[in-house]
Amino acid sequence: MSSSLRGHKPVERLRVLMGALALLGMLGSVVIIGEVLRHPDTRAGVPDEEPDHFDPRDEIDCPEPPPREGQERSPQGDTTTTVDVSSSDLYDCPQFFDGRRVRYRGEVVGALLHRDTGVWVQLNDDAYAEALGPLPAHRDYRGGNSGVGVLLPTRLTAQIDLVGGPQTRGDVVEIEGMFNRVDPSGEVAVIRAETAELTASGEALLDPLLTHRLVAAVLAILFAGGMVAAERVVARRR
Amino acid sequence: MLFRPDRRDFSLIGFYTGKVIFGIGVAMCVPAVMALVLGEYNDLTSFLLGASLAILVGRAAELFLSTKEPLSTSHGLATVALSWTVAPLFAGLPLRLSGHYASYLDAYFESMSGFATIGLTLANDLDHMSRSVNLWRHLMQFIGGQGIIVVVLTIFASAGGRIGYLYTGEGREEKILPNVIRTARFIWRVALIYAVIGTSALWLSLMHAGLDPAGALYHGANLFMAAFDTGGFAPQSSSVAFYRSTLVEIVLLPIMTAGGFSFALHYQLWIGRRDELVRNIETRTIAASMLVMFAIMVVGLGRTGTFTDVGVMMRHSFFQLVSAHTTTGLSTVPGRMYVTDWGVLAPAVLVTAMALGGMAGSTAGGIKAMRVGLILKGLIRDVRKVLLPEDAIVVETFHSSTRRLLTDTQVRAAATVLLLWLVLYFGGGLIGLFYGYELQLALFESTAAASSAGLSVGLVRPDLEWPLKVVYVAQMMIGRLEFIAVFALLGYILAIVRGRV
Repeated sequence: MSSSLRGHKPVERLRVLMGALALLGMLGSVVIIGEVLRHPDTRAGVPDEEPDHFDPRDEIDCPEPPPREGQERSPQGDTTTTVDVSSSDLYDCPQFFDGRRVRYRGEVVGALLHRDTGVWVQLNDDAYAEALGPLPAHRDYRGGNSGVGVLLPTRLTAQIDLVGGPQTRGDVVEIEGMFNRVDPSGEVAVIRAETAELTASGEALLDPLLTHRLVAAVLAILFAGGMVAAERVVARRR
Repeated sequence: MLFRPDRRDFSLIGFYTGKVIFGIGVAMCVPAVMALVLGEYNDLTSFLLGASLAILVGRAAELFLSTKEPLSTSHGLATVALSWTVAPLFAGLPLRLSGHYASYLDAYFESMSGFATIGLTLANDLDHMSRSVNLWRHLMQFIGGQGIIVVVLTIFASAGGRIGYLYTGEGREEKILPNVIRTARFIWRVALIYAVIGTSALWLSLMHAGLDPAGALYHGANLFMAAFDTGGFAPQSSSVAFYRSTLVEIVLLPIMTAGGFSFALHYQLWIGRRDELVRNIETRTIAASMLVMFAIMVVGLGRTGTFTDVGVMMRHSFFQLVSAHTTTGLSTVPGRMYVTDWGVLAPAVLVTAMALGGMAGSTAGGIKAMRVGLILKGLIRDVRKVLLPEDAIVVETFHSSTRRLLTDTQVRAAATVLLLWLVLYFGGGLIGLFYGYELQLALFESTAAASSAGLSVGLVRPDLEWPLKVVYVAQMMIGRLEFIAVFALLGYILAIVRGRV
């Protein structure tokens, strides 16, 4: 409240209500501007595969329960057969897949990190990796990213041209190799690839200029400029 | 009796809130420049639109609500709470327009998570997000970590000492220098010095990790803002694990730790009082809790058999613990594996570390080491009282810049706030349980949101139920402002509704 009650004249509730409505109207108009000017809600034309949707409430579908304190970890099973896996499989059942040969496919994203031991890449196998494509190419929201770190021998990276990122859809690569829950390099949950095959080439992502947003931005700049000028003039007169 | 606010109250609160919104608008020009340089034209128009609207509203408040009335405590607190409610709405506009957020609520959540330095994200397909929008996420952490109000104080400081109440309202209890403006400018100086050193070190280490120089600089600057402001956003969805580099993690550790230090401690170190590191009650409390929790974590991970190599276990457990204790939220391990591979003891330690948090007056959240330290000191004093003869006078002191006498009032205040924190943590956890999530997950995520830690086991995701998003947004704001500013705003609303005079 005011630091002094001298001359305290409370504002009528009706005026407060009108002021509050004006404030809400102003804030609401920001939201409406955001909704009107956003990208068109284009679908990628790919059905939503509900079973793949990650929900932490789902029972973890894993041959072995998660390890607990004081319990022996089960020894590695069959390490000769190659199994197809997703990143969810590996994170849900890291112990089960530890030391197994796996086949995994994903989009190369971020960067190729060259080291003496090979090249680290992040391969995403989420909804944006293959059929759906990266979000900037459509507005079909399918959640966050999911992927696995992979150590590729340097010779296998020659076939990778495009790395996924802000304006690029990365190449999709299928790899075979050993999944290590804890890798000898010290990294957690990674695959040491032995083979790699390019299954889909990446491409540049186009994001055509949205003219209605451009017009709105120009108008907003003009209004803001006008307000700044008006405020400066009044401030000088004060 | 409640006094209904008068015109002066509304003018003051609106005037200063307008200044904050104006400041957010000016800040949006930074990613706008990056969007222009990189040819991200749709994002450029989004930032220009957002900046213009914020500047328009900010200058309108200056024009119509200009006042020379002095600020009172309640004005300051209500202004801070209102600013923190409104600022993410404007900051969220470019996020919503980026096309990576499924609703405006998600964009608002992300902005609040940024400003409050939480690090939980609702971004869809972060790995294809434009660089300018990604920079804006991290910049919000930098602005929020220093305190939105501090930004305004420093840049638009015409109101002088009167705005000290705004500073204290943002969870900063202690003025480092006698003048609040000088305090704010000191905070900026510290942040900028760390920014130059930290970004340079990260740049070099990221190039060593394999990034090209331009990419390393971009990632380094963003990671610095995330680490020093204990934010927890990262340029890539896989957080720090993306870089697969022990060196990067080693560089991040002192940056996160510096972020968890109070600016008062930074000032003491700045003026050459290095012994403060050893004598300060907060550094002692954090050192002790780190030691105890690290030991428990190592035992837990050892008993679960998560790691067989001691060095690797030390590397990951220490990084995760520092990240949790400083309430940063950067991670070297996929969040899902806390549940599927880390047993229950180690994640419980992480929850405890997040709940305790960093130092009072730092960018970190949580209960704060000062309060924990004071309560423990009070407990020790009470035990000593019981053990000594009845007529013995037991005096307990603590060191925070100077040696201070521990009073009952201090202990009671610390205990009260501790209780409020626990209510906040468990309240969010209970609502998570209501939506069918397991106790471990619900409590982990609730604590991460309220304490501003932002580590996640995957519960916070774009298709999270919207009421839970609202709950987490409220937790983030209440936690960042440490209750009292929010109570002040609610008090104003109550006074409007129920006030008689």
